[in-house]
Amino acid sequence: MPTRRGFLASLAAAATVPQLSWADAGAPAFLAAAREADGSFALFGLTEQGADLFRVSLPDRGHAACAHPHAPEAVAFARRPGTFALVIDCASGSLIRRLEAPEGRHFYGHGAFLADGAILCTAENAYETGEGKIGLWSRDDGYRRMGEIESGGTGPHDMLTLPGDILAVANGGIRTHPDRGREKLNIDTMRPNLAYVSVSGGVEEVVELDPGLHRNSIRHLAEHDGQVGFAMQWQGPLPDPAPLVGLHRRGGAPVLCATDLAEQMAMDGYAGSIAMTADRVAITSPRGGRVHLFGRDGSFRASVRRADVCGVAAQRGRLFATDGLGGLHRIEGDALRPLRLAEARNWDNHVVRI
Amino acid sequence: MTRLPLAACLALIACPAVAGVEEAVEGHILPGFERFASEAADLAGAASSDCTAEGARPAFHEAFDAWMGVSHLGFGPVEEDGRGLAIAFWPDTRGMIPSTLARLVADEDPAAGDSESFAEVSVAGRGLYALEYLIYDEGFAGYEAGSYTCALVTAIATDLARMADDLANEWQETAGPALLTAGEAGNATYLSRAEAEQALYTALQTGLAFTAQQRLGRPLGTFDRPRPRRAEAWRSERSLRNVILSLEALGELAEALTDAPIPRTEEAFEAALEEARSLEDPTFAGVEEPASRLRVEILQQRVEAVSDAVAGEIGAELGVTEGFNATDGD
Repeated sequence: MPTRRGFLASLAAAATVPQLSWADAGAPAFLAAAREADGSFALFGLTEQGADLFRVSLPDRGHAACAHPHAPEAVAFARRPGTFALVIDCASGSLIRRLEAPEGRHFYGHGAFLADGAILCTAENAYETGEGKIGLWSRDDGYRRMGEIESGGTGPHDMLTLPGDILAVANGGIRTHPDRGREKLNIDTMRPNLAYVSVSGGVEEVVELDPGLHRNSIRHLAEHDGQVGFAMQWQGPLPDPAPLVGLHRRGGAPVLCATDLAEQMAMDGYAGSIAMTADRVAITSPRGGRVHLFGRDGSFRASVRRADVCGVAAQRGRLFATDGLGGLHRIEGDALRPLRLAEARNWDNHVVRI
Repeated sequence: MTRLPLAACLALIACPAVAGVEEAVEGHILPGFERFASEAADLAGAASSDCTAEGARPAFHEAFDAWMGVSHLGFGPVEEDGRGLAIAFWPDTRGMIPSTLARLVADEDPAAGDSESFAEVSVAGRGLYALEYLIYDEGFAGYEAGSYTCALVTAIATDLARMADDLANEWQETAGPALLTAGEAGNATYLSRAEAEQALYTALQTGLAFTAQQRLGRPLGTFDRPRPRRAEAWRSERSLRNVILSLEALGELAEALTDAPIPRTEEAFEAALEEARSLEDPTFAGVEEPASRLRVEILQQRVEAVSDAVAGEIGAELGVTEGFNATDGD
């Protein structure tokens, strides 16, 4: 029969069991997925110089990973319209949990953590109605499904956590159905938005662009100092000079950023990723083979060319980019400085800062 | 000697280098841009002596023909300063060419009289497609010698010649050498030899896709709504001609890229070219009638079959695919 004192002592002991941190996975600066020379896929932890810290095999091509704020855990999402996500222990390389989207839902590519890492949020499509959902999963309870909230639009893709446990959600506006793969079912009527949602307050603010830009799918997000940057993908005829990045602060009007006609059209209507630092906003276009850099006021700064560039992330005030040719680069001024070329790898869409 | 078009192309290469990047640069890219610079200079000369529509048309076609020899090489110098669009603003999905030209003419914008100022004019008002509008479109082409429009034709031709000359020089002096020294220390453009092959392979596949999706796909529209007036350069009746010339140029690049036998690719190019050459529909106006529409659809399928053959033979041989991220999209 355990004594009360003994029970309390065992509780205290449990509380002091050291929790693993990202340091236990080598303190990576970035996570990035890649296709390897033999056609297999893996998730890598990388230093700021691009050196490998760990490699975890993935069963198939992923889209994005999302990193836990403290614990060395990453969630890798299948490409749209995937129905599984893998929670990976990056310290041991083992699979913690395979998440299956509930009946009638599939994942939409990205996720984020709320409540200091206690809740995983996943972008989902309720495909019979086309409503965007944010799935909620309790990490402390073995990533059990807790429930879901509205995403505030159709086709939620990227999301990020803001102070106060607010989620910024890029509702891309495009309706799809798993029976029809990635076919876009509502291009003529799509209405993308940037939504701010919370578990307690629901949809708190929805930002839409002018009706003339309703085919500009808002898909990826970055944030710095309360300003959210959103990257877009034009769904109308190409070539087109539609702006591909916007900046927004809660309660304000969005500021759209673009450059001259020819350089704007050279992005081929497609921004693949976005990152922000104290003074820069970067978007990538693998189709245009370009990174466009803007000031935080939305003014155009530079165009940097690199074939198949797509991943971009900010780390300690600097911008880094990855490409499908295996390159990891630091963006310095208006130039790319290659840090590492992993010729046997194709870095996938996104690179994620830890 | 066979009369197959690809063999003919190869025979024109006086001194075949080792197949691959070297042959593509020395046997395809550099001579292609030299020819474009030369024809664009002739066009500027012709327009300077007679800028009327009739005076400019023959040299316009020669310059456009030469452009089709390099239009698929959309990387490198053509990416600087918006040159790609300043030479070839097509497709013009928002009708920016006629609106830009109409504004220039209505304002009698003095930029037409000064080559430095003209280089700052919107890319929609420059290049081959703007020129085509002026010398072929009913709304413009009736202009008189000595009119503002006539001066604008000379300005566009002169601007085109300047850009073409810059492109030829830059390919010769920097961009060509960059491809040839891919992977060497100090080469910031191509970090490995594979990246140079990747750039050329991507240009080949992008060129094929552009012909299938834009040059043929735009006029085809849908069966219920064909769009013949969306054909490329229909005013000057170059739509089909551009398809043929581009396929010939892409075939030359394909042959340059590898020493390995590429029988499927050659066969696919020949089938597509044969289909195109037998099509008596210079502007794809036939897309509105089922029987003639079918011919354009077949041509489109033949071009798509070339892409598949190129991927299976040249892509596999070089170990490259099109952009991992560029072709994914999400």
